[in-house]
Amino acid sequence: MGYLRKFAVFLLVFLGIQSVTALAQSTSSPYSMFGLGVLESSSAGPNMAMGGTGIGFMSEKSVNYMNPASYNGIDSLVSFFEVGIFGKYTSFSTKKESQALFNSNLRHVLMGFRVTPWMAASFGFSPYSSIGYKINTISSIEGSNQQYVKTFSGDGGVNQVYLGASVRPVKNLSLGVNAAYLFGNVTHAESSDIYSFYLEDITYISNFDFNFGLNYRFVFDKTRLNVGLIYGSSKKLKTQNVTTIQTVNEVETLRKRSYKYEIPQNIGIGIAYSKNFFSAGIDFERSSWENVQFSNNYIHTRNSNRYSFGLEIPSLGVNRGTTRMKLFRIGGELRESYITIDDTPLNYKALTLGAGIPLNGWLSVVNVALELGQAGSLKNGLLRENFVNLHLDLSFKDWWFVKKRYN
Amino acid sequence: MKGIRVGIIKKPVFSFAKIYYIFPVIFIAALILFSSCTKQSEFDLGKDFVDSQTRLKIIDTFRVDLSTIIQDSLRTSGTDVALVGEYSDDIFGSIRSETYFDLGFSNFQNIEDKAFYDSAAFILRYNGYSIGDTLSPVSLKLHALTEKISKGSNAYLYNVRSFKYNSQPISTVEFYPEPHSKTDTIVSFKVDELGLDLFNKIRDGDENVTSEEWFMDYLKGFVVTSGSSENNAIIGFDASENKIELKIYYHLRLEEPEKKEITIAMGASGNQFNHIDSDFSGTLLNSIKSSGNKKMASETEYKSYMQGLTGLITKVQFPTLQDIFLDNNWKILKAELVLEPVRYSFEKFPLPQKLYIYQSDTINWLNSVLKDEKGYSISQLVDEDRNALTAFFSLDEILGDDTRYTFDITSYLTREMRRKYFNSKRGLHIGLSTDGYTSTFDRILFEGKKPPVKLRLYYLSY
Repeated sequence: MGYLRKFAVFLLVFLGIQSVTALAQSTSSPYSMFGLGVLESSSAGPNMAMGGTGIGFMSEKSVNYMNPASYNGIDSLVSFFEVGIFGKYTSFSTKKESQALFNSNLRHVLMGFRVTPWMAASFGFSPYSSIGYKINTISSIEGSNQQYVKTFSGDGGVNQVYLGASVRPVKNLSLGVNAAYLFGNVTHAESSDIYSFYLEDITYISNFDFNFGLNYRFVFDKTRLNVGLIYGSSKKLKTQNVTTIQTVNEVETLRKRSYKYEIPQNIGIGIAYSKNFFSAGIDFERSSWENVQFSNNYIHTRNSNRYSFGLEIPSLGVNRGTTRMKLFRIGGELRESYITIDDTPLNYKALTLGAGIPLNGWLSVVNVALELGQAGSLKNGLLRENFVNLHLDLSFKDWWFVKKRYN
Repeated sequence: MKGIRVGIIKKPVFSFAKIYYIFPVIFIAALILFSSCTKQSEFDLGKDFVDSQTRLKIIDTFRVDLSTIIQDSLRTSGTDVALVGEYSDDIFGSIRSETYFDLGFSNFQNIEDKAFYDSAAFILRYNGYSIGDTLSPVSLKLHALTEKISKGSNAYLYNVRSFKYNSQPISTVEFYPEPHSKTDTIVSFKVDELGLDLFNKIRDGDENVTSEEWFMDYLKGFVVTSGSSENNAIIGFDASENKIELKIYYHLRLEEPEKKEITIAMGASGNQFNHIDSDFSGTLLNSIKSSGNKKMASETEYKSYMQGLTGLITKVQFPTLQDIFLDNNWKILKAELVLEPVRYSFEKFPLPQKLYIYQSDTINWLNSVLKDEKGYSISQLVDEDRNALTAFFSLDEILGDDTRYTFDITSYLTREMRRKYFNSKRGLHIGLSTDGYTSTFDRILFEGKKPPVKLRLYYLSY
């Protein structure tokens, strides 16, 4: 498996560089111009195919960083190293016209392992939100009947690196915490090629964020029922704004604007059921965006709920129960948008399908998820996005770094 | 290392597990390929939600003070052009042009014993330039100078300079000018007396023709002047090297007579210059020289005059531009200066295709050809490539409404305004190239009221 190992290392280096330079542009949606941009899902590889359902699940098959209490599910014999990427094809349409584009990027890089018999830990990197758009408008030149093309563009996003740990104080109860550092920028620009100006408004964002999780396991004979709770408090983000105007022979830093960015209080509950390698789960999550205001007159924030469900069905046949067992997944998700435009919600609805394919080697599992969905709305002259999103999560077990620690 | 290696042939074993590796590899490869080229796409959709911070505006109502300024003098030596004649009209007044030159000394050929003098003539060749009425005959006079052409301490001779000459011409000529003739047409002044004298001196080896010093004292120089007040044209002749000549014709009295000639070419090109007399009396520019070399357009029916050789330059000043600093949040993206010639003013004088723009220098360059009304040097604005900035010229041949010159003065203005202060006294000057000023009478009459000269600013406010 030498070639695969080399390839994996190459891939990681490549993605690592990508994540620094280009993660910022992982979204290409006009809606990403609002607030912190488009929020990224924090579901783990297998959960992605289950409608993103994951609050009740333990980290048995992969690192489920949605609920930090889940790390306790990591077996002492297994260490995870996971890389998730996606490729998304989106068709944008209004009532009159439509356009399509493809974009792809890194979804996360995660590690999870047991540190001591009583504690498991995880650390990783993932985007929290992302911004990426470029819109050409025909603007008029005031004081004349001339027009010109003005381009609005945005990029950036908030990323997080986290370190999490989970312990089991009493039997069947796991508690966990993720300490995340949020960092990134929200950048909006206005420019014109013909009149050579470029106004760029960058807000650098950072702060620490703590998320807490709980998981309680009920065991009835061969049936297991896990109930998970997650909580994160609202947090003001530290911001620093720089606005620069660039013309043909001048660059000037303008007044510093003060934008307030905040992440909301977040609570969630999830139930996971499993029996004979069959699993099912539901999630409910609420983010209190209503208290967070953005300085854009077009939009309003509201509390947003997320509902999801997912099923995991094991393959039939001789491999059942062995490490060669394939798992098939299906799920659905409704994410209410945290913004509304003209009181029109821009909800995110998706159906997911996927599979976990075990491999007998260094690369242990490939989790594939296909997400078919819709976001936005055609009402009030708004945009609707229809998308097909292919997620690929590569799970490497016994990563050499971790293996060494154990030797 | 052992010398012998044993090859083991492995039988390929079909395995599903191995096949699975292929998928991620292909998928990742595809992603990498795609991700590098589809980061951000341009959209028209979504334009309804953008929250613009910038507004692009045009303002062209800043006051532009238009005036005409005049040069005290213009250097006209060494331009390779001899301009002679006179021309007048009601707008730009009357102009008379004379050209001065001298002859070059050389060791003249020996004249044979059997040589007999025939005739002599000064030869002038058209250079293709003319103004005025070239359909009527033109009369010119040739005079001998009574003092040598000398530049004194200065390296140039100017349009105001003159040298004494004998009021009695040594030759006159009247002809129908053909300045645009393709063939090497000439105008010749017959100078038989002078020719005979020279012929004899050369034949006799007179010291007046054997020593350069004596020669220059003997033939100090010549001036061609307008020969009649009836003339209403100025004709250009080629004054580059060897193009103005004195030819002495003679023949050898042999059994078969042989025609011969002696050619004496014009002397140093730096000693050839055009003297210009301009008279604005009877025009609105009357007394411009006595009023500080400047007339505001308001004194000249809201028009500004621009002309080569008479040294008229159009000047614009922006007295209220400083007011733009009352508001802080803006940037000038583009600045255009738009001037229109007075309608129907350019039928006889075709509009110059190229027009230049000058700023007052912060250092007064003594060597500068053009100066502002206070005598400070002015120099051409240049573009990013350091080439002289010229106007975009549009000629509306059908209606004449859209005939205008547009200068893009963005970089000048943004540079001038960088310190949040604009010196409105300095202004900009519009005119021909320096060559145009020293060798042509090209002219434009600019309109100052309907429509006014416009400074059009495209600026971004934020």
